[in-house]
Amino acid sequence: MAALRWGRGAAGLSWALRSPGRPCTTTKEGILDGLWGPRLNSSASPCEQERRKDWGHVELLEVLEARVRQLQAESVSEVTVKRVEVARVPADGGKAGGTAPPAKARVQPSGAWARKLERDRQLLQRQQALLKEEARGRSPLPAPRPKPSVKAEAKAKGRPKPEAMGKAVARSAAALEGKASSELRAKEKAQQNRLQTFLEGCLATGQVGLAHHMLVCYFTRPRRQRLLVPAMFNTVMRGWAQEGSYKELVSVLIMMRHLGFAPDLLSYTSILQCMGRVDQDVTTIRRCLQQMARDGLQLEQLFSEESLSPEERAALLRAVLKAKPNFRLPQPCPQVSPVELLQEVYAKDGPVSYPRLHLPLAELQALFRQQLHVELAGSMPVESVEKVSPTQEILQARKNLAALRKTWEAELHSQLRATKANLAQRSRRGTVTLYPFLCVLPEEELVQILLQVLFSLPAQGEPFVHTAHRLALQTFQRHILRQRSCRGHLQALEQRYAKYLGLLASDTQVAEPCLPRQHWEALGPPEPPPPQPWPLLELLLLGKLLLETLVQVTRLPASLASQPTAGHSVPVLFHVYTFRGVRQIGLLRPHPAFVRLASTLTFEATDMPMLCPPLPWSSSQAGGFLLSPIKLMGSLGGFPAAPALTQLGNCAWRVNGRLLDLVLEVFLDKGCCRLGVPPPVSEAPRPPLDQLAPDTQPHLKAQLRQEVARCLKVAREMHGLRQEALYRLSLAQHLRDRVFWLPHNMDFRGRTYPCPPHFNHLGSDLARALLEFAQGRPLGPRGLDWLKIHLVNLTGLKKREPLHARLSFADAMMDDILDSAERPMTGRKWWMEADDPWQTLACCMEVARAVQSPDPAAYVSHLPVHQDGSCNGLQHYAALGRDSVGAASVNLASSDVPQDVYSGVAAQVEVFRAQDAQKGVKVAQVLEGFIGRKVVKQTVMTVVYGVTLYGGRLQIEKRLRELPTFPQVFVWEASRYLVHLVFKSLREMFSGTRTIQHWLTQSARLISQAGSAVEWVTPLGIPIIQPYHRESKLVIRGGLQSVTWNSSVDSSQQPNTLKQKNGFPPNFIHSLDSCHMMLTALHCYRKGLTFVSVHDCFWTHACDVSFINEVCREQFVRLHSQPILEDLAAFLERRFCREDEDGAQAQGDTGHSAKLLEMLRAVPQKGDFDLQQVKGSTYFFS
Amino acid sequence: MWGPATVLPSRLTLSVLPGAGRFCFWRFGAAMRKDLAVPRRGLSSSCPQPLRHRELKQLSHQRYNRLYVGKSISSPKLAATVAEILQLEEKARHEVIMECSPGRGILTKALLETGASVIALESQKNFIPHLKSLDEKRNGKLKVVHCDFFKMDPSNCNTVKPPIMLSQELFPTLGIKANSWLEDTPFKIVGMFPINNEIKALWKLLHDLYTCSSIFSYGRVEVYMFISENQFEKLIAGPTKPELYHVLSVLWQLSCEMKLLLQKVPLSLFEMYTRDGLLVQKTPVKPQNQCFIQMIPRKDLFTEYLTPINYDIFFHMMKQCFGRRSALLIQHLHSLTPCDPLTIMNKAKIKASVKPSDIYPQDFKRLFKAIECSSDDDSKWLYDRVTEEVRC
Repeated sequence: MAALRWGRGAAGLSWALRSPGRPCTTTKEGILDGLWGPRLNSSASPCEQERRKDWGHVELLEVLEARVRQLQAESVSEVTVKRVEVARVPADGGKAGGTAPPAKARVQPSGAWARKLERDRQLLQRQQALLKEEARGRSPLPAPRPKPSVKAEAKAKGRPKPEAMGKAVARSAAALEGKASSELRAKEKAQQNRLQTFLEGCLATGQVGLAHHMLVCYFTRPRRQRLLVPAMFNTVMRGWAQEGSYKELVSVLIMMRHLGFAPDLLSYTSILQCMGRVDQDVTTIRRCLQQMARDGLQLEQLFSEESLSPEERAALLRAVLKAKPNFRLPQPCPQVSPVELLQEVYAKDGPVSYPRLHLPLAELQALFRQQLHVELAGSMPVESVEKVSPTQEILQARKNLAALRKTWEAELHSQLRATKANLAQRSRRGTVTLYPFLCVLPEEELVQILLQVLFSLPAQGEPFVHTAHRLALQTFQRHILRQRSCRGHLQALEQRYAKYLGLLASDTQVAEPCLPRQHWEALGPPEPPPPQPWPLLELLLLGKLLLETLVQVTRLPASLASQPTAGHSVPVLFHVYTFRGVRQIGLLRPHPAFVRLASTLTFEATDMPMLCPPLPWSSSQAGGFLLSPIKLMGSLGGFPAAPALTQLGNCAWRVNGRLLDLVLEVFLDKGCCRLGVPPPVSEAPRPPLDQLAPDTQPHLKAQLRQEVARCLKVAREMHGLRQEALYRLSLAQHLRDRVFWLPHNMDFRGRTYPCPPHFNHLGSDLARALLEFAQGRPLGPRGLDWLKIHLVNLTGLKKREPLHARLSFADAMMDDILDSAERPMTGRKWWMEADDPWQTLACCMEVARAVQSPDPAAYVSHLPVHQDGSCNGLQHYAALGRDSVGAASVNLASSDVPQDVYSGVAAQVEVFRAQDAQKGVKVAQVLEGFIGRKVVKQTVMTVVYGVTLYGGRLQIEKRLRELPTFPQVFVWEASRYLVHLVFKSLREMFSGTRTIQHWLTQSARLISQAGSAVEWVTPLGIPIIQPYHRESKLVIRGGLQSVTWNSSVDSSQQPNTLKQKNGFPPNFIHSLDSCHMMLTALHCYRKGLTFVSVHDCFWTHACDVSFINEVCREQFVRLHSQPILEDLAAFLERRFCREDEDGAQAQGDTGHSAKLLEMLRAVPQKGDFDLQQVKGSTYFFS
Repeated sequence: MWGPATVLPSRLTLSVLPGAGRFCFWRFGAAMRKDLAVPRRGLSSSCPQPLRHRELKQLSHQRYNRLYVGKSISSPKLAATVAEILQLEEKARHEVIMECSPGRGILTKALLETGASVIALESQKNFIPHLKSLDEKRNGKLKVVHCDFFKMDPSNCNTVKPPIMLSQELFPTLGIKANSWLEDTPFKIVGMFPINNEIKALWKLLHDLYTCSSIFSYGRVEVYMFISENQFEKLIAGPTKPELYHVLSVLWQLSCEMKLLLQKVPLSLFEMYTRDGLLVQKTPVKPQNQCFIQMIPRKDLFTEYLTPINYDIFFHMMKQCFGRRSALLIQHLHSLTPCDPLTIMNKAKIKASVKPSDIYPQDFKRLFKAIECSSDDDSKWLYDRVTEEVRC
């Protein structure tokens, strides 16, 4: 291969020396004939074709030498041959002609000639590949045989010492793949990416002309020409096709063919689309189709291109139909059948009662319009619940600020316009700039985004990089929003959504009940995927540019309160540094006086709950919000995740108004730490600095220092918590008396999270208590009992009692419960002592109302009742390993009383300790009487999630330090001893768990050491890839500060073995628990139950708790009846132990692969636990 | 998963981030530690003998550095000179000298011979029996403690176990009493900066000094150290040598009187040993001449404006000023305070057109004072202590 390249490079060089043009071997092909007729034929004159014969006969070394010499002449200082590939002419050497950079490129300032050799090589490589492809596609043409150039030969003759040359070449061959060349390639790649992004950006803003101009600029400059790739031509052609400009499109095509690129599927799509638009005559279309067939492309493939909009598709079809009237659109292929576990969900037979919302169609439609309104506005001002009556001074300052804002707006506007003009000019000169990205939004909107960022900066500042990134992302999102809000998209969406609501509304009928996503897909063609976010480099550059403009423009007068006077002014945003380790982080801090003036809160539309049911997830980018794009973190994997996510999002919520009132009362009255309501910062401890005498000794001040630091830290934490609560409560207040929805997103392991970050059901006790189901259900016969049990669960008082004991406890406490419900703040305050006080209070009120209603069974309850997995991670491990002892201790086996795994482990540890104490181990004797549930709990809980001996020891050390009677000198030794015992006990009790963990870890280690990230497919068919890689760094220099973006998720980097290895067991278990949750969710949906989950905590109405328990257990059994580990091993083997075809693997590598294979085949043995027992276990989830 | 490598007590590795200056500890992962498969014991602990020089396996440069721990004087002649310098006055018979990393104890012997009491803080267990044997005929003039001087009082107290110790626990047992800042110096410390992380050690001492914590909570302790020539030149550099002038120069010159006692001591008069107490034959870093210097904290370091309470703002100011050397001081002030920079520079009597490397340490102190008195409320600095305090 290498030889080929060299042979041709040298030959091409000589050819190029003679002719300034380029060889064009593709001129005489069908489509081109039709398109540009005789124009180009001239470039391949007969005499030239003659010349191209017999190129392969050149004596390689001579030519090589000639090239090296030539380059040496350019750079005398650099004598070593660095990047030359040594080669011999193979038998078929120089079959096809190649090109070399035109003569002009070589007349350069002296310098890196070696780089040019590399460049030649790359160019040739590319063209070679292309030619090969073409040769395959069409009838064999007699390949031109290049002839050695006379000049090159003449030059070569003067040089003796071929051996020395050979040596130099040999030496350099090794260095070829070295760092320098790869760096160079990376640089070129980056340039190519930027150009491609620029072109796409131009297209998105409708500036095809500029894109074309840029392409031509690159095309005409030989040094830049080599950066061009087919995708760039395709992009510009697509732009012209959308505009229906046929002539321009053809000129792009000519450029493309001139560089020797064959048109691919995308090119033909654009060509035909354009032909459809301009109503091209039949013969041309036909010729085009013929050429396409010759290139080995199918007509049907054109329509499978996903990125086409319906409108483009129509134009394309028009052209095709003209040439082939009887062409029929290929039917979308029927969807693959779901995995075995899900077949039941999709089964058509059997009883199906999908749940419906409680709202009629008309109301839902009105809600849709409200939500649309919010999203179109982009952001939403929300009134803060914290009301501070402002002083006269502040009022005046606010007034001045409002006036100031106007001037800022004007100034930003003109500044942006100036920047834009400047960039436009540079783009016209052929420099890739940010111009198209600045053009995506009109200046007014950019100004609004900028000012919003300014007003939302926290008082202590925000890292410059983050702000810049956020700003650019916001720009992108608004851009998509704008794109979607025009072009009739809104009408189409509204119509389709209205039809979709037919499935959910309370007063409509559908022909056949089905899952929301199926329904949505049946209602219309799939939408084209939204555009990908811009590359990070562009995002950061854009953000930086905008932010620097903002910093520059905004200035305050020295005093805001007084009338603004001309002259003296200070910046609003200060750029400060914080020094953290070797790093220096630039922050933007608003002026302290400016911060004090903030009055309202502003939320992005995507940070608010939705006002109508979210769109069903149909692809990884479409779903949730109506217009605003959110990116799914994990991959949907087709079937299972999308309906589950959709369903979780479809649950309607409302705010528990009575509780909100109570919380607000506490919140505005200095808060209460015990109840989780953060107090205001004014309550923070003050450093005792005031009493400090000025002549205090330094060592006394030194002692004060610690106290000062502590106070500051506390104050800052309090401020953070207070702000968080303020956001939550303000949103709750804003949404009071409304129904809203929480669209869900998924992380890479398949765990689901609600999108709105500030107000959702995932948060603390307070956050959960504020929410209840918007749709109520009558309690039914068992509902009240479940409410009471839930109440006792929330208090945390009777964790280890059986259900009936909890129920009778609730009955016994009924007096207190009613008292709490009636006089929460003035009565006996029983609820305040609970583990989760606010939820307890909400439950008390619900119980009270139910009991006081005439017929409790008919009482309509809105309160979510939780069912919690007991140490869910260990449950999955125990089921995987079929551990009898372990399974019993995490409630997989049926039992009369709930088992407590922590006490179990503590007891086992105690046994070991007693043994050691008898043997005379000092630590064991010291520890007598100190081992309890509390000491081991955290370690046991986290062991599933990969806590190490080191972390475990720290956890235990903390617990031991809390024990007042424990001799503190022994803490270190004792914690070390104990953590070993805990692990030993766990090994004893969950023998399977440890083996499985070990097996998973070791497999992951071997896989990532072989250079790949660990991947697997969950039993539901969701593919998962662990995104842990070595850090990659993106640095942008210049401007206000240089910006560095570190990312460990860049999949082009090597995997981070440590993280891959340690992350695999917990991630695998998380992927299993998410499977269990999704299965339960889908089956509940089929049964018509409301279902919401917080990972391993399932929520439903009180009347449905028994059903949900049943489904949950059933699905757990079904999930674990699958050969999960065997499937995993088989998948990993297929994926990572393929016998490599090239067989050129290094010895060490094959050994590695064998080791992995051996590891994968040794799937851990299973114990003898009978999985069916789970079905009878009351306390499995309770 | 629980292989033997992880069962070993977790070894802590010192790693300081040169900029921020505080010591911070983190643990190497198991995979990294596994690499250190070198013989573990250099000296049997039961019978004290002079150390045999062992051949060290050929290790890659990087590992070499990591293994390498400290250095100590190997030339008795140099030891005698140092001892002479330290015992400047005859009456110093009852003076306490704390020696860090005495190694084989050559300097210790010399010091003991002058009659002083010596406290030897040795981070290597292997040397301790041998050091203790030195005390046999000196009736308790020598105390040997297993302690690493440069890791004393770490910022996170979770990881305190020998050789990392807390001064407030250690010093009372050694019978050392605290003097106040304005009193005489309580005791002397003699030692060598670790050869490959001098800067980290310098920063740690600075933090201790400006906060009056760790050893400096016992008063203005005199520090005698061997330091590489380059580093010393940087420490004493001023605006006359702008290319060497540095944050550390300002902070050290402000806080201490520095005196050069011995110069151009070749590195060959020292011996280096690894973490396992093995002697290193070949120096792992470029051999550099050493200087022996004296650093005595200034009585007038703290003023009404610069106190242990706000020293961190001063540190921040210095880092900011030397962050971008080409910028003018007035530009840096924009990032430091919301007050008007020009007014402040006038007040501090500094010309408006200077760069940070053009002014003397005292000028920085004046500048700091000027900003501190600029207003009464807490908005005179843009510095945010909390974000800075967060350490990894």
